[in-house]
Amino acid sequence: MPMSELNWQRTPLITIAFFLFRQLKQFVTNISNLIPVLAAVFVAGKNAVWLPFALAGGYLVFTIINAVLQQRFFLYAIAEDAVHIRSGLFNRQHLTLKYERIQQAEIHEAWYFRPFKLTILSVDSAGSAGKEVMIPGLTMPLAQELRQRMLAAHEGVPASSATPTDAEQHQPTTFEQRFPVSEIVRAGIIDNKLFVLLAVLIYPMSQLDLLEDYVVPWVQANVSWLSEGNAWLLVSGAVIAGLALLFLLAIVVSLITYHDLHLTIQGERFQAKSGALSIRTLSFRYPKLQAVYVRRNLRARLLQRSVVRVSQLQPRQAQAGGQGGQQFILPVVDARFFARFRQELRLPDQELVNWQRLSNLALLGPSMWLAVLAPVAAGVLFFAAESGVIGLLLSALGWLLLQILVVLRWRNYGYSFVSSTTQPAEQWFVVRRGVFSRNENWYPRHKVQQIDVEQGPWLRLLGFAHLVLHTAAGSESIEFLPYAEAVKLQQEWTQEIAQNHRRWM
Amino acid sequence: MSIAWVAPEPSYRSYLQVRSLLSMLILAGMVAGAYFTGIYPQEAFPLWWAGVIWAVLTLFFSLFFASRRFLFTAYARSPEGMHLKRGALFRKIRAVPLNRIQHVEFKQSFLERLFGIARLAMYTAGSGGADLTIPGLEPEFALQLKTELLTTIANEPELDDNANE
Repeated sequence: MPMSELNWQRTPLITIAFFLFRQLKQFVTNISNLIPVLAAVFVAGKNAVWLPFALAGGYLVFTIINAVLQQRFFLYAIAEDAVHIRSGLFNRQHLTLKYERIQQAEIHEAWYFRPFKLTILSVDSAGSAGKEVMIPGLTMPLAQELRQRMLAAHEGVPASSATPTDAEQHQPTTFEQRFPVSEIVRAGIIDNKLFVLLAVLIYPMSQLDLLEDYVVPWVQANVSWLSEGNAWLLVSGAVIAGLALLFLLAIVVSLITYHDLHLTIQGERFQAKSGALSIRTLSFRYPKLQAVYVRRNLRARLLQRSVVRVSQLQPRQAQAGGQGGQQFILPVVDARFFARFRQELRLPDQELVNWQRLSNLALLGPSMWLAVLAPVAAGVLFFAAESGVIGLLLSALGWLLLQILVVLRWRNYGYSFVSSTTQPAEQWFVVRRGVFSRNENWYPRHKVQQIDVEQGPWLRLLGFAHLVLHTAAGSESIEFLPYAEAVKLQQEWTQEIAQNHRRWM
Repeated sequence: MSIAWVAPEPSYRSYLQVRSLLSMLILAGMVAGAYFTGIYPQEAFPLWWAGVIWAVLTLFFSLFFASRRFLFTAYARSPEGMHLKRGALFRKIRAVPLNRIQHVEFKQSFLERLFGIARLAMYTAGSGGADLTIPGLEPEFALQLKTELLTTIANEPELDDNANE
């Protein structure tokens, strides 16, 4: 279709809010880069009080004008096989995204759009830049229809013809699952995000001298019964209260993001919908699946739940960035539902997996390092730091702990090559690892992109090699294989993949 | 089935040697610069010591290590994939199935042009940089291989997934 025939459309006026929020989000994520500038402003502000205010005001005005202009210059057109987007005031961008290259689609009913019954449609493409395309301000029916078209598009089947779209729409729902509130609370307990956030926040918080300047004087002034003897009581009480607060926060966050989580599977289409304020609906088609990650941390194991994440083709930057919102995640999955969901994902049953363990020799390297380093640490502590017996005991304890970790890591590592018994059958390779947690990474075998056999001097001495499999969703290594076996597997798999002409993306 | 490994052009060895010599020369230049500007700690570390260490390193890298790298570099083309092995100390054998190659790039730096060799880089999906770079190819042959690979990729039959069900 020639460009001129495209029906260019502008988004509604309210989408200015979307562009505004997007800029604010960018500002917040880039704030760490701006810290030197802000520090300079702060220092300069000591003499001129108006300066920070002027800058903040200037930024605000700039952002608003920019958002208005962005909305004015954002145009989209929906063609038969692709979506076209034109944007930018000075840097004109014209983006064409073919439907068949779309990895997943998300309909995001942002909270500020919900009163207007509008949504944001965002799709991930397979391009190397990992560009995410967002069209704000679509009505729900339009967004749904568009998504249907995008996900339904096959090669050779024109997406515009109504039949496949209708067929998919009327296809009976093969599977449906709603997650009750109790499960979502569990998801909050399992979730690690807040703890990570806390670790990030601890340093700036420690710089504020909150404890020394405010808490300690207040306690000394007001709590007379507190003496040296029961100070530990207060400290442990504060720690427990802090942890409880953190868990409570995590549960609240989980309740908001995963409110009314609802999974539907229609044929090959997977869809998860959740959210209290902003409702996100994420969908992808099974052929785009590149990896399934099953995470079970210590809390999850106690609660007998797992976290399941399905990944599509992602360039390296996105893999490292790990944008949680855009990924297909089921945050809390119990054993019974997981057994069912495994079938939908065409994963083999747990009993079929014949886990291969690491060779005993894999323990040798790390243990030797520890055995060398522990006496060195003990010697340094004893002679240089003159810590006496305590130093020796500490290094012995440290050695013991690390050695236990090494053994646990070795013991819990496993890999397997399995074929599922589902129809159609799918071949997988799976790697299991974890010290206290149990994590399984599943990859469809025919979607492997390249295969490495790696061997450093130490492995060469022992006659072993690592087999590193690069998939479109990331790399996975099968460690400590006998060298000949690794090379043989590499050749067999290369041959098999080359002869497998199924679509891999 | 064994893979028929092909060694790169012999001039690739000289290229590796000259390249490591060049980086050692840059290092020497930096030390010389430091010496003439007076930053160099003459008392703590006499210049002739640095000279001896530099000479030993240069001999090691340019004569021994570069040749060893050359010895362990080889590529192979089988009907189903491209294979490459490299690394003198940390060995790596990489295999890429032909139907996973996204695009192919012919590369030739100034130094490589002097030695009359070129590189052929192949890319797959989902990774940042070049995934398989065959060094030390004869430029004519590299271009020919590139065309061949591109024809193979273009003619790759791709089943619709539904046909498999």
